[in-house]
Amino acid sequence: MSERSRPVWERDFPYEALAEEEVTRREFTRYLVLGAAAMAGANVGLAAWTQLRNINTGAPRAIVALDDVAVGDTYLFRYPDDNDPAVLLRVGDAEVAAFSQKCTHLGCVVYYEPDEDRWHCPCHEGNFEALTGAVISGPPPRPLGRIDVEIRDGQIWALGSHP
Amino acid sequence: MRTSERGRRTSSAVAIYVIILVALQVFLITVAVEAFQTDDELLGWATAAVSVVLAAAAAAFLRYLRP
Repeated sequence: MSERSRPVWERDFPYEALAEEEVTRREFTRYLVLGAAAMAGANVGLAAWTQLRNINTGAPRAIVALDDVAVGDTYLFRYPDDNDPAVLLRVGDAEVAAFSQKCTHLGCVVYYEPDEDRWHCPCHEGNFEALTGAVISGPPPRPLGRIDVEIRDGQIWALGSHP
Repeated sequence: MRTSERGRRTSSAVAIYVIILVALQVFLITVAVEAFQTDDELLGWATAAVSVVLAAAAAAFLRYLRP
């Protein structure tokens, strides 16, 4: 392209459009690769943290006397520590089930619905199976945290939790 | 001119590939957080391994960009 055929603005402000585009694109791609590397590092860090962290699953302790909870009734308690609301359901004469009361969606408190035989979260209509804590419907991504329970000498014991 | 056009297309293609890999990395971050919340160590390490491979692939694509 001759000098005369070029537009005035390009003569006044000459620049290499194609070259600039390539340099910018390369830098942009380089930043993307740096971001990808950072995310890979974060993933490795998260995996290591998952492997190494020590989760408090709770020590075995008595919760309540079996006779104090009627069949089909629930009992609220705290486990594994005082910041963790939990709920126990007496299913039968010698059968109990206990779960963390925190909904696995956003942490609202779930409660038992006897008519539907399920755990219900009123915040976003999440529902869980009464005996297993598995998700029936709603937005919760995973089952309720299960707490192992056992009946010993007329007392209901919590043995440990599974987040 | 033909060479420049080809180089421009190549760099565009590389950028698009890398963007796709980065999008996958964002998805893998969510999987890793989910693995962390559920204390699923196996899923966490599998996610990390795939993420490292994707990052290496993204770095390898840089070779096809002209300096």
